[in-house]
Amino acid sequence: MLLEGLLVDLVPYGDAFKKLEHRWNNSEAVFWASVGDRRVVSRASIERWQQESAERAEQGPRHSVWFGIRTKDGTPIGDMALNWVLPHHRLGMLGAMIGEPDYWGGGYGTDALLLIVDYAFDWLDFHKLWLGTMASNVRAQRNVEKAGFKLEARRRQEMYADGEWVDHLLYGLLREEWPGREAMVARLGLKTRKEG
Amino acid sequence: MIEGKLVDLVPFEDDFAIHMETWMNEEAWFRARLWERREPHTEDDVKKFIEKMEKSERGALIGFQSKDGDPIGGVIFDHEWQRVRKADAMFFAGDTRYEGTDEHLDGLLMLLRYCFETRNLHRLDASALAFDEVRIDLLRRAGFVHEGTLRQHIRYDGDYVDVEMFGILAEDWPGYEQKVAALDLQPSGIEPKPKPEKKDDKETEAGEAKS
Repeated sequence: MLLEGLLVDLVPYGDAFKKLEHRWNNSEAVFWASVGDRRVVSRASIERWQQESAERAEQGPRHSVWFGIRTKDGTPIGDMALNWVLPHHRLGMLGAMIGEPDYWGGGYGTDALLLIVDYAFDWLDFHKLWLGTMASNVRAQRNVEKAGFKLEARRRQEMYADGEWVDHLLYGLLREEWPGREAMVARLGLKTRKEG
Repeated sequence: MIEGKLVDLVPFEDDFAIHMETWMNEEAWFRARLWERREPHTEDDVKKFIEKMEKSERGALIGFQSKDGDPIGGVIFDHEWQRVRKADAMFFAGDTRYEGTDEHLDGLLMLLRYCFETRNLHRLDASALAFDEVRIDLLRRAGFVHEGTLRQHIRYDGDYVDVEMFGILAEDWPGYEQKVAALDLQPSGIEPKPKPEKKDDKETEAGEAKS
């Protein structure tokens, strides 16, 4: 399946993405996505994680929904996921990583965010979405605030990044606050990018 | 055993497990475990829960009992995260007569003492349903700081309710002795439950008789 956006599509998280996990996990991208972790991981570790995650998926009900983020010219640039899905509370936590720094700040993340929010409300019938980001990740805060998420909690010194304790910010968005993707696209003035 | 003022922390063994089926079906349990789906817990579910916690490398289930050995409830620290030295704090008075008493509070203080003074954690998180005044009061008295409100977060009996988020840092914690002295904890005087007969004893006796 495919969720079609203006700059990116959300697509099945297949081999094209898995191949890049080694590079992404050893890059600056993971620092932002993992709230402060810096990893030095081998290919063998990545393969083991992928194996374990596949086994878990076979064992029981899935508590997450993963998409790959792909640009319109077919480049895999990151992932976007609903994690810790609690169907009885109709609640899910968003997580994302743009693995390719060239695509930071160009509206790609915002486009992907609007797609997954719309999907969670319109197809999965969620009541609320939430997410966390560290206080130093100003780009992520700008992104989620633009999409209508509200700051709900500031957990003091919950994360540790580059030798310092940093606050962890929790954001939430209720379904009743979501005007729909089309309205958000219009409000934010998002447009497709012309070729070349 | 780790001895406190009104309660002691002890291994969660048979004298606790025997009450757990009742405790895990009490309203107080579901309020404490607010993320979980509300469903009945059978003996088998209870056994599996205890086993899971015993095997957990990121958490522990510890019993707390009154000074005269009456099992009151449990403290759980879970999802211990090494890189940021934090864990989730969960505590419950399974015996609901103790709900909101100073023994209940002391159970929480002993959890904090264990996490900060023994395990060297930096932070503990706790959450409470917005209407759960007993739990919120205990968290505040123990020194947790309110850090925000998750709006309409949890489905509860036909409505979505807010969740209050709390945290406490090692630097907020004055130390168990100071905290206990400042709070002037007093025993509630609740009569200990009669000790239930243990199945194991009978089996052992039967086994001995045979041999």
